[in-house]
Amino acid sequence: MKIEIRTTVNGREMEAVVKPNQTVLEWLRDDLHLRGSVEGCGVGVCGSCTVLVDGRPVSSCLMLATNIEGKQLTTIEGLATGDELDPVQQAFLDHQAFQCGYCTPGMIMAIKGLLNSNPRPTEEEARDYLSGNICRCGTYSEVLAAVKSLSEGNGTKQ
Amino acid sequence: MSSVGLDVSRADGPAKIRGAAQYAADVELPGMLFVKALRSAYPHARILRVDASKAEKLPGVAAVLTRDDLKGKNAFFGPVVKDQPVLAIDRVRYVGEVIAAVAAEARDIAEEALDSIEVDYEPLPAVYDLLEAMKPEAPALHANRIKAQSFPAKSGFRLQDEGNVLSRYHVEDGDVAVGFSESDEIFEDVYTSPKIQHAHIEPHATVAYWEPSGKLVLYTSTQTPSSIRTQLADLLGLPQSMVRVIVPFVGGGYGAKTHPRLEPLAALIARKAHRPVQWVLTREEVFLTAHCQAAVVKIKTGVKRDGTIVARQVEAVYDIGAYALTSTNTGRNGGEVSGGPYRIKHQDLTTYCVYTNTPPTGPYRGFGVPQVCWAYESQMDDIARRLGIDPLDLRLKNLVHEGDPFVTGHNLVSVGISDCARRAAEAIGWQRGAEQCPRALSGKVRGKGMAVMIKTTMTPSNSSALVRLNADGSAVLLTSSVEMGQGTLTSLAQIVAEELALPIDRVSVTFPDTDVTPFDQSTSSSRTVFTMGGAARQAAHQIRQQLLEIGAGVLEANVEDLQLINGFLEVKGVPDKRRNIPQLFQARYGAAVGNMVGSFDNQTSGGLDPTTGKGKGSVFYFLSACAAEVEVDTDTGKITVQQVISAVDAGKAINPRQCHMQNEGSMIMSLGSSLFEEMVFDNGQPINSTFLEYMPPSMEDHPKKFQSLLVETPHPEGPYGAKGVGEAGLGPIEPAIGNALANALNGIRVKDLPLRPDRVLEAVQSAKEHGA
Repeated sequence: MKIEIRTTVNGREMEAVVKPNQTVLEWLRDDLHLRGSVEGCGVGVCGSCTVLVDGRPVSSCLMLATNIEGKQLTTIEGLATGDELDPVQQAFLDHQAFQCGYCTPGMIMAIKGLLNSNPRPTEEEARDYLSGNICRCGTYSEVLAAVKSLSEGNGTKQ
Repeated sequence: MSSVGLDVSRADGPAKIRGAAQYAADVELPGMLFVKALRSAYPHARILRVDASKAEKLPGVAAVLTRDDLKGKNAFFGPVVKDQPVLAIDRVRYVGEVIAAVAAEARDIAEEALDSIEVDYEPLPAVYDLLEAMKPEAPALHANRIKAQSFPAKSGFRLQDEGNVLSRYHVEDGDVAVGFSESDEIFEDVYTSPKIQHAHIEPHATVAYWEPSGKLVLYTSTQTPSSIRTQLADLLGLPQSMVRVIVPFVGGGYGAKTHPRLEPLAALIARKAHRPVQWVLTREEVFLTAHCQAAVVKIKTGVKRDGTIVARQVEAVYDIGAYALTSTNTGRNGGEVSGGPYRIKHQDLTTYCVYTNTPPTGPYRGFGVPQVCWAYESQMDDIARRLGIDPLDLRLKNLVHEGDPFVTGHNLVSVGISDCARRAAEAIGWQRGAEQCPRALSGKVRGKGMAVMIKTTMTPSNSSALVRLNADGSAVLLTSSVEMGQGTLTSLAQIVAEELALPIDRVSVTFPDTDVTPFDQSTSSSRTVFTMGGAARQAAHQIRQQLLEIGAGVLEANVEDLQLINGFLEVKGVPDKRRNIPQLFQARYGAAVGNMVGSFDNQTSGGLDPTTGKGKGSVFYFLSACAAEVEVDTDTGKITVQQVISAVDAGKAINPRQCHMQNEGSMIMSLGSSLFEEMVFDNGQPINSTFLEYMPPSMEDHPKKFQSLLVETPHPEGPYGAKGVGEAGLGPIEPAIGNALANALNGIRVKDLPLRPDRVLEAVQSAKEHGA
C-alpha cells in the first residue's frame, strides 16, 4: 500500500508517495537521498536522527512519514544557504564541537530546536534540552561552548 | 614549528557540520540488495536442521546464505586463532550468533523472509560465568586452536590446549614469596568489572560487491582495513590484491570495529546473489556483535610500613565470550601492566582468557588495562589509609621514573607519570593528608580520589605511508589510517606539512583504500600518531631530501646551508636566494610536472616471549592520572560526579585541542562505566540490549568541572616526540571515582563495577555499622 502526502522539506514543497510503515528517517535516506540524518538507536533516544518538524526537534526514526503531511520538515541539509553556514554550524566549526561526526547533524538540529524555543538558554537549560543527544566521543564540553556562544547574542537564523 | 603543536582546525569539519560526511551505510550502489540475519535464540545448541527453501522462493529475495553454502569450503576466520565460522555450521555458541542471512530487494522483505527459515536446535549445556567456565567439568566451547597466519611469534601469551581457557599470560620478577615474607602488611582483594558496550553511535555497516574480474570490493566501517583484506583473502582463497577494502568516515569505533565482523558474510552473500549488498546492523544486533571483556582480578600486595611496595601478585581472568578475536592480546596487555606503574621488586602477574556462551568481545578502549587498573588503584588507596600515608604521597613514593626497568625487562622512556599525578591533584585542590579524614555519614557527603595508570601499545606493529608532492607544491599522504573521530586526517597532515614546510591547507590525507593506500596494522591502540605519523614523517623527509638536493644545484649552495620555509627553499640568511616548489620541479624535469614520492615502511620492534612473558612490551607507554570528586547521597546511594580531571602524557601534542578532545572522550566514556554501564544477561539471554535500557552518558551526566591536562615528555622515537592519547586517560577514571566514593564513606569500598546506587547504599550501611 502507498500513501500520497504533501509536505515541505527544507523549504521546498513536494508531493510524495510513502509506505504506511515507512519512518521519516527511512523516507529521507532511501527516497530523498538526504543522508545527513542517521540512525543510531532506532528507538528515539540517541538523537542522531533529529530533524525539525514545524521548528521543533523530532526523532525521525520514530515518526512515520505519513505524519508529516502538511508540515514543514527541516534537515541538516537545509540549514546552510549555499556557502553561508547557519550560525549553529558556524559555532560548531568555531568550537570544533564534533569528533566522529555521526551524532553531529542530530546535535545541530536539536540546538536549532532549543534556540527556536529559547534563544538565550542557560547552561542548565542546554544540558537538560540536549540530554537526548548522545555523543559517545564525549564532545559535550565543546557543544556546550558552542551553545553558549550562540546564546550570548550571536543570534541564530529563524 | 609551523604546523606541529598547533590547534589546526579539523579537515573534516565542513563535511561533518553539513551532514555531508559519508559513512559506510551511506554508500549506495546500483542494484544493491539489503541483508538481514537470522540469529540464534539459544546460548549453546547443536543445529540439527536449517531449511531455507521457503525463504529462497519469496518474491524479492535474491539469495539466502546458510551452512549449506559453506560445505567443503574454508569457513573459519580470526586474527589470532581461526575459531569463528562465517555463520553457524553445526553449533551456535551464543544468543545472537548468525545462522542464516537473506539478501533481498528491500529491508522489510529480507526481514520478513527470516521468518520462513526453519531451524531445529538441540540445546547443549552452556556456561556463562568466567570462573565456572575455567573448571574442567564446564562444557567446552571449542575443540581446536588453529593459529591464524598473522599469529605473532612474540605474542607473549600461550594458547592452552583444551577447555575454555584459550590463553594464559605470565610474567614474574624477583620472588613474591620472599617479598611477602619481608612485608609488614599484606592486602588481598578481588575486584570485578562487568561486560560493557562500546556504544559507537554508528552501527556496524558493510557494502560488498564482486567485480566481474573476480575482485571483491568492500566499503566497510572498520578500524582495520588491512586486516580485513588479509583475512578475507585467506578465507576466500584470493590473492590479497583481489580484495579491495575502502573505509569512508567511521562513526566511532573504540575497538569494536577491529577485524572482520560483517565482512565475511557480506562477501559470501554478495557472491551468491551476484549483486552488491548492504548490511547495516540494528542497535540490538550491535549489542550482540562486540563488547568489552568482563574481568575478575585477584590482587595481593605486600608493603613496608613506610609505604614501599615490596611484592605484588595478580591473577586476572577475562571473559572473552564465544570467539577469540584479539582477546588473547587483551589478556597479555592487561597482564603485563597489572602490577601498575610502580617500582616493585617482586612481582608475579598472570592473566587468563576464557570462552563463555556470551557474544564475542573485542578490543575496547584501554585493551584490558582498565580492569586491572580498577583493582590495583583501588587497593592502593586502602594501603594508604591503613598506613596513614596520603594517597598522592604513597603513589609518588612508588611511581616509576625515567629509565626504570619495567617488569617485562626493559627500561622505560618518556615517563611523565609523576607530573601527571601532581598536576591532576593540584587541579582538584588536593589537600595532602586530609582527603581520607572521617566524615559524618548523613545527607550528602563528598570525597576526592585519585588514580594513575600505565598501558602499552601494540608492539611490534607495522604502518606504511606514502607521500606524493605535486609540482604545484601541494602534497597527498596515502595512508590506511581510519578517520573515526580522533582527527587522523588533520594530525597526519600536520606532520607532513611540518616536515615539508608547507602550509597546512596544501596537504591532504586519503581515506583507506587497500588498492591504493599502503598497509597499516590497525587504527587502534592509540598507535596512529606514533607509528603511522612516524612513517609519514619519514616518507615526507625523503621528499625533503630530494628538494634540498635539487635546490643545492640550483642555488649553488651546500645542502646544510638550505632551509625549507613556507613553501620555499632558501639559503639560510639570504632570503632573496630562494626557489618555490614549482621552480624546483622545473629544475628537475624541465617543466612543473611529475611527482616527488617518498615512502616509508615503519616496522616497530619488540614483543614478548611467550614462555617468560618478558621482552620489549611496548614501543612507548601511556601514562596518566585522574583526580575526581564525588557527592554521595547517603539516603539514595546516588553518586554525582562533581569534578573529573585527567592528565595524560602525550609525549608531544601534535594538535593539542584534538588531544584534549580525545582525552575528554575517555573521561566521559569511563564515567559511564564507573557509575551505570553494564550489560546484563539471564542464562545467556541479553536483557538490556537497546539504548532504552543501556544508556551511555548524556550531557546531564557531564560533570560541571571536567578538565583535561596534557603533560609532554617527548619520546625519542615518536614523530616530534609524540606518543598517543586516544585511550591514555581511560584507565584511572574508574578507580579515581571509586576512591573518591571510598573516601566519602570512610574507607568502605565497593569492589564491583559499576558503582550502582544499590551497591553504594550497602556500602553506606556498612560504613555506618563500622561506627565511623
